[in-house]
Amino acid sequence: MAGRGRGRLGSSLTQEQLQVLGCVGKDIPSVPTAPPPTFPPLLSKPVPLENSTVQDYMTLWKEDFLTQMRDSPYHLEPAVHNNSNIQRYSDQFVNVLENSKQKSKVEIPWHLMPAELRPNWKRRKVATAPTLPKKKKENLIEDRLKVLEQKEKIDENPEKQAVHGSDSEEEKEEEEPEIDEDDEMDEENDYGNNYFDNGEAFNEEDDNLDDGPIY
Amino acid sequence: MSIQCGELCAVIIKQYFGENAQKVADLLFSSGSRNLSSLVKATNLTKAQVSMVLAVLIKFQLVTFEPSFSNENIPEYSIKKEAVLQMLRYPRYVHLMHTKYGTVGSTLTEELLRSGSQTASQVILKCFSSAENKDTMAAYRDTFVQMVRDNYLIRCPMPRITESPVIIPVLEIEQHLLFRPPDLDLGKLQKLQSGATTEVPDGDSYWRVNFDRLHQDFRDNIMTTAVERKMGASAAECFKYILQQMYEKTDAWQKDYSNPITFIEVKQAIEKKSNNLELMKNLDQYITLIAEDNIGFIRKIGETGGGQYVVEMKKVFDELSQVCTENIITEKFGSKASRIFRVIRSKRFIEQEDIQKEAMVPSKEAKLLTYKLFEEQFIQIKTIRKAGGGGSGPAKSFFLFTINEKQIVRMLLDMSYKALFNAISRSSYEKRDNKRLIDKSQKLDSIVEAMKERGESEEYIAEILETLTPPEREVLEKVKARIKTLSSAELAIDDTLFLFQMHQYYNSS
Repeated sequence: MAGRGRGRLGSSLTQEQLQVLGCVGKDIPSVPTAPPPTFPPLLSKPVPLENSTVQDYMTLWKEDFLTQMRDSPYHLEPAVHNNSNIQRYSDQFVNVLENSKQKSKVEIPWHLMPAELRPNWKRRKVATAPTLPKKKKENLIEDRLKVLEQKEKIDENPEKQAVHGSDSEEEKEEEEPEIDEDDEMDEENDYGNNYFDNGEAFNEEDDNLDDGPIY
Repeated sequence: MSIQCGELCAVIIKQYFGENAQKVADLLFSSGSRNLSSLVKATNLTKAQVSMVLAVLIKFQLVTFEPSFSNENIPEYSIKKEAVLQMLRYPRYVHLMHTKYGTVGSTLTEELLRSGSQTASQVILKCFSSAENKDTMAAYRDTFVQMVRDNYLIRCPMPRITESPVIIPVLEIEQHLLFRPPDLDLGKLQKLQSGATTEVPDGDSYWRVNFDRLHQDFRDNIMTTAVERKMGASAAECFKYILQQMYEKTDAWQKDYSNPITFIEVKQAIEKKSNNLELMKNLDQYITLIAEDNIGFIRKIGETGGGQYVVEMKKVFDELSQVCTENIITEKFGSKASRIFRVIRSKRFIEQEDIQKEAMVPSKEAKLLTYKLFEEQFIQIKTIRKAGGGGSGPAKSFFLFTINEKQIVRMLLDMSYKALFNAISRSSYEKRDNKRLIDKSQKLDSIVEAMKERGESEEYIAEILETLTPPEREVLEKVKARIKTLSSAELAIDDTLFLFQMHQYYNSS
């Protein structure tokens, strides 16, 4: 039923079905081209509402209860940031009302709720808990590395190991400055390389933001 | 959940708990369940604000929480649609408690509804201190205990006791504790009232209103009223006793039909409790009358014990919701459309030509009304294509009109949600638009009340009352009348909503 307009449920008969119903020519309802009126006239008089003392009791009680709820500390409105430069005459009354609202205390049984909802609560337990398995994992890796090193020592002679070690160090040294150079190059030459703009890329970002459909 | 229902729930939450709560509730409705950090991100509220909203909604049993599937230390929150919609019925709950337990009962219920859940001692102390007619504290305690015994109040689940503090409490309660009255020592309550610090024995057990029990009464009331309208007051009384007997053997919310009730049992109950001599004299005839009615409130299944009967809740609510649908069609399209609807319902599948014959409506009018009913989705078309044709011309088809009751109930529920949303929105608009006037009149009322208490002269009071000018008074009267009409409409729509919800409950698997 979503998005099908006010009061119209969107179903209609097909031409074939209309013919079977005996609707031909001008009998066939025209296709609606404009939205229906906001307040269409009522075809029949609505059924009058029950007007009893019980109904009166309930309506009065509801209004009273809603007022109480609005004034209760459970009614949570967004904080209004008033411009401090502007002083209004009404502020003094509003402040009095707000203060009276704060006087009644919020009574929340925190022991029945998740701990994260409590004011000033910090997730301490969770932070300490995962360190233990991590240590274990590190130990395991270290042990494994030691075993592998010992194996290498047995298998290969120390000279080769030295050559390999120096090679790998050189590679690392070469890689790091290269990355830095690339970054610098990008920053310096960015303007020159991507200067030309034929206008096709205009508004392209909006399409890729995945903000949902644009109507 | 439909869009209409989501919008209605949001507007109800805003009415009772403010804009921040509405933002959080909106997200919970759209996404099912979410954790705190994602709620903070999506609402643009601070963590403290979202936490407070969630805490309040949990206190009012509108939001539940459970450990996340991916991480047991992170709770995920989800909103209870039914509980939010129940807030529309608060006036009816309080009225029912008022009729059963008087002012004390309604005050206790009101206090519990206002705070969501509360310990028994706190509820009693608050009611006692705020009551105008000053009933005794013992009266409040006794009524509270009686309401628990009658299952109108229920104990909230408590967190499982563990050695170390837990991040997400596991709430549980044993079945036998749900309706066990609290131990309330009047002496201790008096001490607390006078300001002394003393330990209250029920300090850790919270209570709330048992909405299921209240709904059970509403449901029974719908059926008894239907019997009364059709067969009179004595038949309604008889049916009330049948229901009482049913509850002794059957779970209140058992679907389909109840366990058998015998004629003798009903007779004994009536002889014990009733003063209606006419009912006692003609009991067998009344029971036969109720059993033979086409709505089918009860059905005879045997002859043991003077006749065995079962109550068929599902059938009753099917029929009553059908009657309600017919009334809606009559209101919207007139009695002829309603007649066409009834014809289609009785025949199950029927062709257009037969409709006009059976309903005795002129051909053109019948077609127009059938089209309207189809357009508004009260009836549907089932197409049956005739086999063959062999390419020589179009294959002949039969178009049969039919009714899908479940779909109609869903649609009418959506319409009710939308109507409620409109009524509440309009009411809020009227209040917002005339806020200054309403506030002024409320302030004046409280001043005048205080002046009367002080014993000020009538002339001076009249002078104060003149602060509200005649044009302002006129506008205010109009606004109040409009708000009252909208509130009455809300309650009336909620009646229909309840009936259709019952239909859905009994037709759910």
